Amino acid sequence: MPLGTGDIRNRKPRYKSYDTHLYGLDENLKEKKSYRSLIGLSTTDAYNLIGLTIIAVFVRLYQINYPTSVVFDEVHFGGFAAKYLKGKFFMDVHPPLAKLLITFAGVLGGFDGTFTFKEIGMDYIEPKVPYVIMRLVSGILGVLVIPIAYLTIKLAGFSTIAAFLVSSLVMFENGLITQSRLILLDSPLVAFTAFTVLMWVKFLNQEKRPFELWWWVWLAMTGVGLGLTVSVKWVGLFTIAFIGLSTISGLWRLLGDLRVTPALFLKHFIARALCLIIIPISLYLFFFVIHFAILPNSGTGDGFMSSEFQQTLRGHGMEDMPLDIAFGSSVAIKHVNTQGGYLHSHLHNYPTGSKQQQITLYPHKDDNNLWIIQNETDPEVPFSETDPIWIHHNDVIRLNHAVTKRRIHSHDVRPPVTDADYQNEVSAYGYDGFPGDANDFWRVEITDYDKSDPESRERLRTLHTKFRLYHVITGCYLYSHKVKLPDWGFEQQEVTCVKNGHYPNTIWYIESNSHPKLPDDAEKVNYRKPGFLKKFLELNKVMWSTNSGLTDSHPYDSRPLSWILLTRGINFWSKEHRQIYLLGNPLIWWSSAFAILIFIIAKTITILREKRGYKDHLDGKKEHFESWSGLIFMGWCLHYLPFFLMSRQLFLHHYFPSLYFAILLIGIIFDLFTHKLSSRYKLIIAIIFLVASVYVFTIFSPIIYGGSWTKTDCQKAKWISTWDFECQTYHDNYEDYLASRNIVVKESDIVVDGSNIVANESNIVVNELNISGNGSNIDVNESNATEISQESTTDHVFKEEPFVEKVGDHDEEEEAEEEAEAEDNEDQDIHDH
Amino acid sequence: MTDHKVRQRHGIQVMEPPDSVQNAPILDEKKTIGQTKTNTKKRIVSNSALAILTLLSFITRFWKIDHPHQVVFDEVHFGKFASYYLKRTYYFDVHPPLAKLMLAGIGLFLGYDGHFEFDNIGDDYITNDVPYIGLRSLPAALGALLVPLTYMIMVESGYPIITAILAAGLVLFDNALICQTRLILLDSMLVFFMLCTFYCYIRFYKYRLREFSNEWWVWMIASGVTLGLTLSVKLVGLFTVLTIGIAVIVDLWNLLDIKRGLTMEHFKKHFYARVIGLIIVPILVYLFWFYLHFAILNTSGPGDSFMSPAFQETLQGNVMSLESLEIRFNDTITLKHKSTSVFLHSHFERYPLRYNDGRISSQGQQVTGYKFEDTNNYWLIKPAKIFIDPSRPEDDFVKHGDYILLEHINTESHLLTHDVASPLMPTNQEFTTMPKDDDSRYNETVFQVLIDDGDSDTKWKTKSSYIRLIHFDTKVALWTHDKLLPEWAFKQQEINGNKNNVEKSNIWIADQIVGKNVTKPLTPEPPKRRLPFFAKFFELQRLMLSHNSGLTKPHPYSSTPVNWPFLVRGISFWTNNDDKEQIYLLGNPFTWWISVGAMAVLVGVLSADLISRRRAIHPISEPVRNRLLNSGLFFFMAWFIHYAPFYLMGRSLFLHHYLPALICSYMVAAVVFNFMFVDSVNYPISVTGPRKAPRIVAKAVVRDITVISCTILLTISACVFYYFSPLTYGTPGIEPAGIRNRMWLDSWDLHFQPKRHDA
Repeated sequence: MPLGTGDIRNRKPRYKSYDTHLYGLDENLKEKKSYRSLIGLSTTDAYNLIGLTIIAVFVRLYQINYPTSVVFDEVHFGGFAAKYLKGKFFMDVHPPLAKLLITFAGVLGGFDGTFTFKEIGMDYIEPKVPYVIMRLVSGILGVLVIPIAYLTIKLAGFSTIAAFLVSSLVMFENGLITQSRLILLDSPLVAFTAFTVLMWVKFLNQEKRPFELWWWVWLAMTGVGLGLTVSVKWVGLFTIAFIGLSTISGLWRLLGDLRVTPALFLKHFIARALCLIIIPISLYLFFFVIHFAILPNSGTGDGFMSSEFQQTLRGHGMEDMPLDIAFGSSVAIKHVNTQGGYLHSHLHNYPTGSKQQQITLYPHKDDNNLWIIQNETDPEVPFSETDPIWIHHNDVIRLNHAVTKRRIHSHDVRPPVTDADYQNEVSAYGYDGFPGDANDFWRVEITDYDKSDPESRERLRTLHTKFRLYHVITGCYLYSHKVKLPDWGFEQQEVTCVKNGHYPNTIWYIESNSHPKLPDDAEKVNYRKPGFLKKFLELNKVMWSTNSGLTDSHPYDSRPLSWILLTRGINFWSKEHRQIYLLGNPLIWWSSAFAILIFIIAKTITILREKRGYKDHLDGKKEHFESWSGLIFMGWCLHYLPFFLMSRQLFLHHYFPSLYFAILLIGIIFDLFTHKLSSRYKLIIAIIFLVASVYVFTIFSPIIYGGSWTKTDCQKAKWISTWDFECQTYHDNYEDYLASRNIVVKESDIVVDGSNIVANESNIVVNELNISGNGSNIDVNESNATEISQESTTDHVFKEEPFVEKVGDHDEEEEAEEEAEAEDNEDQDIHDH
Repeated sequence: MTDHKVRQRHGIQVMEPPDSVQNAPILDEKKTIGQTKTNTKKRIVSNSALAILTLLSFITRFWKIDHPHQVVFDEVHFGKFASYYLKRTYYFDVHPPLAKLMLAGIGLFLGYDGHFEFDNIGDDYITNDVPYIGLRSLPAALGALLVPLTYMIMVESGYPIITAILAAGLVLFDNALICQTRLILLDSMLVFFMLCTFYCYIRFYKYRLREFSNEWWVWMIASGVTLGLTLSVKLVGLFTVLTIGIAVIVDLWNLLDIKRGLTMEHFKKHFYARVIGLIIVPILVYLFWFYLHFAILNTSGPGDSFMSPAFQETLQGNVMSLESLEIRFNDTITLKHKSTSVFLHSHFERYPLRYNDGRISSQGQQVTGYKFEDTNNYWLIKPAKIFIDPSRPEDDFVKHGDYILLEHINTESHLLTHDVASPLMPTNQEFTTMPKDDDSRYNETVFQVLIDDGDSDTKWKTKSSYIRLIHFDTKVALWTHDKLLPEWAFKQQEINGNKNNVEKSNIWIADQIVGKNVTKPLTPEPPKRRLPFFAKFFELQRLMLSHNSGLTKPHPYSSTPVNWPFLVRGISFWTNNDDKEQIYLLGNPFTWWISVGAMAVLVGVLSADLISRRRAIHPISEPVRNRLLNSGLFFFMAWFIHYAPFYLMGRSLFLHHYLPALICSYMVAAVVFNFMFVDSVNYPISVTGPRKAPRIVAKAVVRDITVISCTILLTISACVFYYFSPLTYGTPGIEPAGIRNRMWLDSWDLHFQPKRHDA
């Protein structure tokens, strides 16, 4: 629609000199235009920044080399660094950036990837792991948050005192300190989030001068920040939502400005899309490029991925297979929808039902996966045929197990695990020479084919044809789902025959194939190696489903509602009468929650007052306060509320990005309540608050740094009974720590022995799905059993976010470990009346 | 509903230039008085349309209502519950009682005594002598009334007759609504009361210019009552509460506006009036049905075991009140775990020194959970001397808070737990025993008995007391879970100490006192105990909520909300192999799909309008826009609120959960139809108040194209309805070829499909 004839609309936009406040800028900032060149700071600010950063270095990096053993999730993230260095493919639910940084630091420190980080409490010193430099990734990024917080508040136009206050509060927040001293992802996450917010604040300040150089710079830097944040953890998506909403509200305002022509609006829109969508996506992709590039070998993560994906990993190559399949072919049949693997049978019987031989899905290559396709009528003939007979759609076949000579069979017997009326058991039945019966007949129904190979639509061809197997007599389809057989089935996946089952679970394809009569130069086929994008999408999908599958309960998990009140922390590490326990600084934490509350109340009151016609000015700063506090509050909400919708296990440290926003809000609320006071009184109030916070920080500092403490001091610090740091761990008085130093050395010797044992036994299958975590004491147990019989359960420290890792010997049939995602609810789709 | 809002924001309410209401005759109010003749004529047309629609509606709902004479789908549940009311035996269900009470009421009226159990789908009604036609006719009648209600809502909202006919017609020809409402199910009542609520609220709102008049009060209280009734049928009624709640908040928000000119006093009056009418009244209604529920169900029945012991004791003839005995010190008892039903058990075998994962045990005597009766389950209760008042007699009753020792009779040892990890869970403490003459670890053998809801005078009774055993030394609770220990413990259940000692799964029940038996009285005793109504009410509410969210067991026909509006899949209710008959809950695909399309159009139109207004372009005339925003958006919001929350629910969901939202979407469809085919709107429609302000008056102009398009839409709907009606009524049977033709989507898993390879 053409813009009307109104003269305003025809006027040329003068966007260089907007006189409206798009975002309320502090008056001060306008006056200071003269030296707002690059950062827009005064010399006082510069001194403050330098001072704060120096203190932060001391507070955050103090004794970062302690403890000298693996703490909490260092098990995972240190372990990933080791795997990167070995180039062994692994699966993790988090994007790669932070892990890459840790690895890079490890390389700088000369880490060679031989240390496995297998257990909490493993010693770093003896294997010469450069753990300090790896921890410094978190440490330095953690220190950077302090000047960033200062700048954010300052550049948003609030007082220097507020900025100083906020950055000191961030500095003395015990929880943030604890996280930023270990090889964990949360410190990078908070740092990048804070960086993004700072860049966005710079951009908003620049919004009145669109398309100038610095406008572009800050906008692009915001995009970079978003990309970095989301490449550390998916929680970064909340940051994207935050910036996104703020962008939309900015665009909405522009839309309402009739001087902005549609063309100009479009330009605004495209600029933002370019910087805030394209840049983050490119960065995210870029880190995955690196990820794939340095993980060329097969490793523990293979089992999560599709066969095509596995083809791209060294050590997983499959030979080219003949394309044609005929009666008499010996084939391995793979299930499409689950990662369960190949149709399999072995010389073990079902303990229930028909008690015939088991049919399972087995994830690894094995001779027991081979089946010979036989003719319905005359099983003897096909081998001697001169010309192979192709298997077409609707042909009836029998599948003879190459090793045990039994045929796949189904009958009206309930399967062992899924005991439902619409499910039939599938077994292997018969013996060599037994002609079989009609229950061995399966009809091939081709459901999908490869577009490049039209013939695969008509008849079975290796890899290209997807098909279902219809049991002729009982009218069911061969089916498998993510249900594991019990021990007697070696935890392999159950195979049944189902009527009207979940369609994708009834689809199979042939992976390998050989036929005695087929010439050697027959047409060959192999998996198509997926390109980067395909691999990227698949990996992200798997990450997503694994992530939402982490629903097991963990001793230290918690729900979002408890975070805001800080009712419980997380036990990270405990040894040598010391412990590390993740707990916030209660004063700062609760003040931040209180700031949120004040904001909500104040906002409600102003809205109601406005509705009733009262005018609030706040000395003309109302708009300024409202827009910035609203923005920060929105950040808090978006980083906090979505967790309520998540059913996976959650931990206190998921609250940290929100906590950062809440602490920023303290500064704004502080300015709001003191805006009438002279700066001297402001300073006094701020200092009182700060001193109190530092005092509280010192009370709880032993559980940050793993320092010495006494039982009584510890008990005194238990302000809330649900804080379950273990006071029994500590000595009765501080002198004991000096005395026990010698013993500590001895203990660490023992630990060294233990870790050697673990390292040598490389065949141990580590099943980390057992979250109840093998505690810190195992290595010690190895050497001294009797002493540990009174082993305290409370000493156990737990790992977060466990998932399966596969290490092991694939020839063993008994070893069939696969992670199970409970996506199976929709699998049973039939009923009866 | 908030038409004044926009006008006042712009301050141009009266001065709107006539040309903004294009093509519509703008009438002065004086002229409308001359229109009485036309109005009478209109009323006749409207009433006859209403009558015809109602008649058709009853016909479609009652046609062959006697077929099938078998239990269909969830009649299994709701028929059964009606029977329980008639027998006055206590049952438990996740839904509030109203609809089931109504069914029971009909049953009572028909002289049915509740003898039939409705055990299986397919059980025969005729041979069991159940007046099922009568029972079905209640939901069917209410279902039939949905059509006239929809019509009246549309007329009251100010739409021309043709639009109202369309909305009602869409409801009339919807297969899913018919199918669901002619069976003994709850949805018919739910949707009926929901529409009643909307109707009353709209009537109430139209009196807004005559605030606090008698009519205003009547319609508001009526909305409150119907709201309460909706909620008393199913908890989904909360969505209706939310819908009305939002409308009320928006309304109050506008009243609060200073430009509206109300004093705070006046506003408070409005506020409190709504609190009474729309909050207190519904709560009272809701409570009333529960009061009736408890009053009727006074006998022990299948629902007993869901409730607390205190509750059960209020029921006549309850096992707990009959068989429970008070426990004394030095009694020998068996202890049963409530949620897994195993006995606390021990035997001479010891824990192995080292477990497979390398952890070390205490090598003490095993303590396990065992499913069967056995003398190894016998434990002697001894007072823990230091903690028990010595003045109490040897065989005093064991009370809440007492400290005891448990001696395992067969192995003569005391139950003990200590800070050693249990075999399967490193986080929990191992339980073992200690020879009874060894006092070296006395403190570790002391346990405190905590009775649920007990105080220091509560005695511990068998069967009826829920207790937790808390370890004195480490404060862990005796706990077990359904993980089995390996062969060395004979695959018995693991017992360990749970650090979270307030968890519900810590509850144990003393099953019996060895050697003491209860003599059963021959006649059922009157209940031993009375509980205040509110105690019962809140207990039941808690259970309903927790069981409702616990309904996660996958059902073959459960579906996810995203599929519903597009009718991706139905539910098979009943099949008859002999005649190839089946009842398959499936909507009328045509009407479902056009209503989804209509909602997309509404959202599109409103967003386009929003954006163009931001650019100071006003494409839609003010009255038309107000109507779209008010009633269109209200219906859309009703749809959204009755639909979107299902995405957040973890329980298994079914297509019929969409039916309340569906009706709202039909009204949206009619609104969009009105926007597209009818010029202008009837305006204003609210009853004029005492202070008359000059207003624009507009009349909707119905043109031929309107009538034609409405006719076309309804004809297609009727044809599609007829085509799918065999699936709705379960008769006549359809041959495989006919089934294949009706399978418009592959995902409709109808029965008697032709086999794929037959084709």
